[in-house]
Amino acid sequence: MTQSTQAGVLEPAPGSDGTPRPAARRVGGGRRVLRALAPLPWITPATALILFVVIWPVVSMFLTSRQHFDSMGFDQGSAGWSNFTKLFDEPDLPGVLVRTVIWVVAVVGLTILISLGVAQMFNKQFPGRKVARWALIAPWAASVVMTSIVFKWMLNPSNGTILVLMHDLGFMKDYNSVNWLSQQTPAFIWEIVVAIFVSVPFTTYALLAGLQAVPEDVYEACRLDGAGAVRTYWSITLPLLRPALLVAALINIMNVFNSFPIIYEMTGGGPGNQTSTTTLFMYNTQQTSIGEAAAMSVVNFGFIIVVVLFFLRASRWNTAED
Amino acid sequence: MKRRVLALTAIGVAGVMSLTACGSSSSSSSGSSGGNVTIKLLAADYGTAGTSNSTQAYWQGLADTFHKSHPNITVQVQTIAWTNWAQVATMIQDKQYPDILEGDAPQQFAADGLLYKLTDIMSASTVSNLIPVFAKQEDGTDGVAYGAPFTTSARGLFYNKKLFAAAKIASPPQTWADIQNDAAKIKALGGGDIGYGLPLGPEEAQGESYLWMLGNGGGYVDSTGKYAINQAANVQTFQFLNTLVKAGGTEPGPASTNRQQMWDAFAAGQVGMVGGSGALIPDIVKNGKLTTSDYGVVPMPGKSAPLTQTLGVHDDVVGFKQGGHADQIKQFLDFVYSDQNQISFDQEYDLLPATTSASAALSAKDPVAAGFLKNVPNSVVYPSNTNWNTVLAKLKQTLGTAASDNASSVLNSLQNFATSNQ
Repeated sequence: MTQSTQAGVLEPAPGSDGTPRPAARRVGGGRRVLRALAPLPWITPATALILFVVIWPVVSMFLTSRQHFDSMGFDQGSAGWSNFTKLFDEPDLPGVLVRTVIWVVAVVGLTILISLGVAQMFNKQFPGRKVARWALIAPWAASVVMTSIVFKWMLNPSNGTILVLMHDLGFMKDYNSVNWLSQQTPAFIWEIVVAIFVSVPFTTYALLAGLQAVPEDVYEACRLDGAGAVRTYWSITLPLLRPALLVAALINIMNVFNSFPIIYEMTGGGPGNQTSTTTLFMYNTQQTSIGEAAAMSVVNFGFIIVVVLFFLRASRWNTAED
Repeated sequence: MKRRVLALTAIGVAGVMSLTACGSSSSSSSGSSGGNVTIKLLAADYGTAGTSNSTQAYWQGLADTFHKSHPNITVQVQTIAWTNWAQVATMIQDKQYPDILEGDAPQQFAADGLLYKLTDIMSASTVSNLIPVFAKQEDGTDGVAYGAPFTTSARGLFYNKKLFAAAKIASPPQTWADIQNDAAKIKALGGGDIGYGLPLGPEEAQGESYLWMLGNGGGYVDSTGKYAINQAANVQTFQFLNTLVKAGGTEPGPASTNRQQMWDAFAAGQVGMVGGSGALIPDIVKNGKLTTSDYGVVPMPGKSAPLTQTLGVHDDVVGFKQGGHADQIKQFLDFVYSDQNQISFDQEYDLLPATTSASAALSAKDPVAAGFLKNVPNSVVYPSNTNWNTVLAKLKQTLGTAASDNASSVLNSLQNFATSNQ
């Protein structure tokens, strides 16, 4: 998704290079304090920014999840843990959780499979490669909201282009006889399709960068040993692609899990909450209970923390192996 | 999303603050008689912002005229699009109180102790002129009115005479069975047209559903005002809708279809029947596919006979007491509620007046409005329970699924929600 642009610069953190700085010898106490404080002017703005835009909202979210707000948003005092118990009692919640898992696994899995193929193709020389590479940027550059709305229009039961095509080809007798976005399974499948469509470009470029980093001489050695194409791909390309693959997968997991605009624009999580993931469910709950929605946010936040820990662990393990 | 709203609000707040700064010298002397006072009016925009059709223009016109006759009272007008209406709640939470709010003014404001009593901000003669059925709905839990209806609308069934003629249907429907048969005939025409447009999507699921519930003697509350969403009559109603939807008498997927989509489709001549208010008429005119003789409006059919009552919907005016301008608000509101000003608003937006005398005057000169107005005095209104706003949000999201899922389990869970979130 579009947010991944910035995330794309993330690389597996290089390990500390471990060259100890020569310790400052025999400095006066005052100077030592000054030395210690020296980085402050450089790190203070960043720290302040993080405190303000990251830590404060998180704290505020936790506090909100324990307050009782009326429908106009006025604080009516502490709610204890009742927002959480209400949330876990929601009849829609189990379905929402299952769907979230399906959503993340299906979108990320298929995106990576497709991107592996596309990246492989883009790594080969062929006429028009430049154009093809540029063209793949389009779904990435376009606003996700716009893409979702266009897909929604294409699926309009009375005049959407996809349905017009089906009608003209004879697959559908009358207009207004099917509305996929109002039926749980077809709607969710279409949303997954759109999510893959907007995720593939970033993933492809991440993997393409990985492919280009594989040194040619490894392949050469492989050929000399008489390995076939499948064997080469399995034993050389994939293992060497692992860092790129890992980064792409984890960034996608976070993006897709947090993804809001696709489902919001296409079905609003509806009918009812039948196509909601946890993010949508949080938004829809916020209309009836701000505290309960905040509780949902806390749960989502917990999940993201787990993913981030996994990410950090995985990237360290990675560097260790290099 | 929420953050963007906050940012917008911040801009709006800054704007309001700079505006008040201009008037601060005058409002500081508001206590003394004869001092100049600025009162802030926050209103919904029923038209399109930035055009002559914007409600900003209507209110500004009133404010200017009023200022001529009351030179010491300046009314400062701000309008907000309906689609951004959530911004109002944010403004109130941020203590940016207007003096007068026109639009959707929930009971919760009164319950939070922010509002003047109606009698403080409106003279007795104006209050007694309000259409009683709506005025009564403004009562808070303590039985005192904290607001007044400002504009109203009533519902009827619009039908497409062209499609009816093509399907050889002689007369507009009167009962549910008629709707079922007529919808089947229109569908059988094979042109992909929709028989009955059933918008049960989040935009206004509560309105369409209510019209159907009423047809079977149901509703959201029982006679004592307690929630009765899962009463047998309602379950039966939605079971009927299930069969109607399954037979293809409606558009596919009513639970995801919004009112505006169905109104647009009706205006484009693709829908046989749809529930609508006067606000549908400008859509039809704008689209240009149907002339006045191509469509008709009849009372909404019920299970065995047309509804004798209609669903009346109204927007309110309330006065916030933080500014302390009760007298000035009163003078302005009495001016706003004059017949002339009421009628000019309702003619601009094809809505209906909230006062008895303006209704009579409008009926005399506008036959379409007269058709709707006839039913207004005995119209049915939405519940006014304190938590109605919360319940409403839930209804919008889930009520539509009762027409395609298990009706009684959907209604049971809504009833459970309504009673457990008091």
